[in-house]
Amino acid sequence: MSNCDEKIVFTGSGIVCGAGASVDDVWSTLISGETSVAPYTQWDGEKWPVKVASEVKENNRTLVPDRKLHKTISRTDMFGIYAAEKAVENSGLLEHRGELGEEETAAFNDRTGLIVGSGGGNYTSNYDYLPLIHEAKGELPAFGKELSAQVTPMWLLKNLPNNVLCHVGIRGQFKGTNACITNQCASGIMAVAESASAILNDEADRIIAAGHDAPFEPEMVLYYHKLGLMSGEAPRPFDEARNGTVFGEGAAAVTLEKASDAEARGANVLGEFLGWGCCSEATGVLDLEPDGDGVKRAVEQALNDAGLEPSDIGMICAHGNGTPASDLSEAIGIGRVFGDDIPPVTGFKWAYGHLIGASGIADIVMTLEALKQKTLPGVATLKKVDDEISAFPVSSASTAPRSNKALVICRGFGGMNVAVIVSAG
Amino acid sequence: MASQEKRKVAVTGIGLVTPIGNDAPTTWANLQAGKNGAATTQSFDASGFSTTFSAEVKDFDPETAVPNPKMLKYASRSHGFALAAAAEALADAGIAPTDEDSHRWGLAVGAGMMSVAYDDLKVVYDHATDDGYFDSDGLADPSFPANPVNFCRWQSNAGLGLLTKQFGIRGYSTSVHTACASGGQAVGSALKAMRRGQCDYMLAGGFDSMINPIGISGFCLLGALSTDNDNPAGASRPFDKTRNGFVLGEGAGFLVLEDWDKAVARGATIYAELAGDGNSLSCYRITDSPPDGNGPIQAIEQALGDAGITAADVDYVNAHGTSTQMNDRSECAALKHVFAGRVDEVKVSSTKSCTGHLIAAAGAVEAAVCCLSIRDGIAPFNANYGEPDPDCDVNLVLEKPQPGRIRAALSNSLGFGGSNSSLVFRNPESVNSKEANS
Repeated sequence: MSNCDEKIVFTGSGIVCGAGASVDDVWSTLISGETSVAPYTQWDGEKWPVKVASEVKENNRTLVPDRKLHKTISRTDMFGIYAAEKAVENSGLLEHRGELGEEETAAFNDRTGLIVGSGGGNYTSNYDYLPLIHEAKGELPAFGKELSAQVTPMWLLKNLPNNVLCHVGIRGQFKGTNACITNQCASGIMAVAESASAILNDEADRIIAAGHDAPFEPEMVLYYHKLGLMSGEAPRPFDEARNGTVFGEGAAAVTLEKASDAEARGANVLGEFLGWGCCSEATGVLDLEPDGDGVKRAVEQALNDAGLEPSDIGMICAHGNGTPASDLSEAIGIGRVFGDDIPPVTGFKWAYGHLIGASGIADIVMTLEALKQKTLPGVATLKKVDDEISAFPVSSASTAPRSNKALVICRGFGGMNVAVIVSAG
Repeated sequence: MASQEKRKVAVTGIGLVTPIGNDAPTTWANLQAGKNGAATTQSFDASGFSTTFSAEVKDFDPETAVPNPKMLKYASRSHGFALAAAAEALADAGIAPTDEDSHRWGLAVGAGMMSVAYDDLKVVYDHATDDGYFDSDGLADPSFPANPVNFCRWQSNAGLGLLTKQFGIRGYSTSVHTACASGGQAVGSALKAMRRGQCDYMLAGGFDSMINPIGISGFCLLGALSTDNDNPAGASRPFDKTRNGFVLGEGAGFLVLEDWDKAVARGATIYAELAGDGNSLSCYRITDSPPDGNGPIQAIEQALGDAGITAADVDYVNAHGTSTQMNDRSECAALKHVFAGRVDEVKVSSTKSCTGHLIAAAGAVEAAVCCLSIRDGIAPFNANYGEPDPDCDVNLVLEKPQPGRIRAALSNSLGFGGSNSSLVFRNPESVNSKEANS
């Protein structure tokens, strides 16, 4: 970000997850110390080893009122469309566009980008083929012959990984630079960072960045459980007794634009994007480096990109997914950058579960709120910090950030590590 | 628009696995010979489907390219293509990440569709259905044979995880999916990461394989595939008036991208400069491209602008040209708008006429084709063309490849969902002489 004088600011945000369908509602949950992780309702968990999740409670028509649209989107798309359109609404961009003439409007649309981090695929959508397999008695020729009689013609369109991108685009006529990032947990946070970079690089004047995912489904729970990644209760990041993560579901979104544009149209500025880093640990799909190598390098890149020293950072929103290996290596990686002067650390997965593709962007939205409120919510489920990282400054109690700048860390399969620095308040 | 000098990015390595060749030289030779990759589908019994043929990769053995059984255990068919094409690209470039510079190497991939394999779904059917309907209790039963390897293969960034590990890439890494535009957008994302200084070297490409019962079902349901079951080799006929849908292909394409000065300093062979990326959203319909080209036009114009050239400097367009009625008409409208008075001069072809449509890999494979076209001064031809369509009256290269120096080549990828990606490649001689840099 160093070779450009332009500042990139956040002028809108939106979120939906098990802890609420607005920034205010989710903030209340974070401050209350009451997790939204609870026995799930989407299927009968009685015979299941894992019986809890953080489910979105709002019904479909509340989130996306357009009845027709539901025929061509899936549950995760519904979350993404809701959050993205809230971020647009919150930014006042459409009111601004409404004041433009015809040619200016066309130019505005061509210079408005949309970058979405998507969970990719899901297992459940493929179950639409199960009645067909049944009908075809497991024979492929019959499967082919009966296909159109058994499965909706819209099946592929309903399940495109880039659905949120196209529907939010069509509905808002945002025709500029775009991408759909399918980088597992890193998807949503990368959408924010790539958006800021694209505006700095003059590829667009403003971009809506969104991330959405609905990982909570039977097969996902089963495999995470088999791999030893799943807890039976709300996650306890950095606790000595942590034993895994729990799924949430939902989406978050932000509107980013040039500070000069935001000022000119009198927009409400939520915060500023200061820099980012991104790297892989080259460890394959599931493994990670125990020494926090990727965390360290991503954070150092972000500090360098933002032109900041570790001592400038006022708080850290950690990935803290509650699994033993990830939390330990994350704390070690943070320690390698900050030494014995680590700013207060928190993480939000105890409250709304792990949103996978949407986790990093949800954490950014709530970190901006924490900076605005000058309050760092504690990790409410934390009882005793792991002895191996006993000096790690994480607590169950709320505290004040030591400056208006925050570091958000997001980690994912593929050895991915992404760090973003924002300021607010 | 950008005032400061943009960092120059060289293409120094190419790797391909396509329905007409399991490496880049074979694919390129067969494109020039007009060989067609489509035939009756062999990998499963497709006789009951409305389309019974496809353009499959033939006789592919991933272990030849990647002698790493532990890695390949976690690789799906499309990941195998990706590992092989990436290995070829790196070998071709004569460079690979080392302990000293692995953090300056990046990866950008256009990842294929994430649908579950039919065999895995059959296992769910066998254990967890009641009268054909899903019953979650069946999954929770200890007898359900949950295989974590399948789970790993199916992760949205599994390809990224395998590629970064196999080649030791430790820098910026991204995985994108905008349907048929994925490969082009991945290469464009790589260019941006190089230009903003996040990497000095990148492996960029795409991979896909939807030739399986579930993958092909999605397209059959939409009626997007050609149903010329008695003439597979003639089915993909982009821009022909009688075109009736695309031919599903599979494969992978990868490029090695390198800081221009570093490539020159080490005496690397430079195929082309990856000079410009353009990217727009049509905001029209999910499956159709707008008839007037509004959307693709902006992507092409941005790519030219980003490359610092104009329509006057382009000698060859590798069209998206899927052989569907709507795509080809929309793309030609865009080309006519952008090239205006030069539309009769600029050579255009869709190599999908030979390879079929490689979906998420298409843009990356066709980017490689542009680089090879520039190197050899040969525009590949648009095969299977018979009946002209007045809506598609662009200057198609027909019947045989056309020799002639190519100063700059444009590659278009237009995806389901309306994402449009255009890439501009420049001849290294043009870059050095500052020709066409006005």
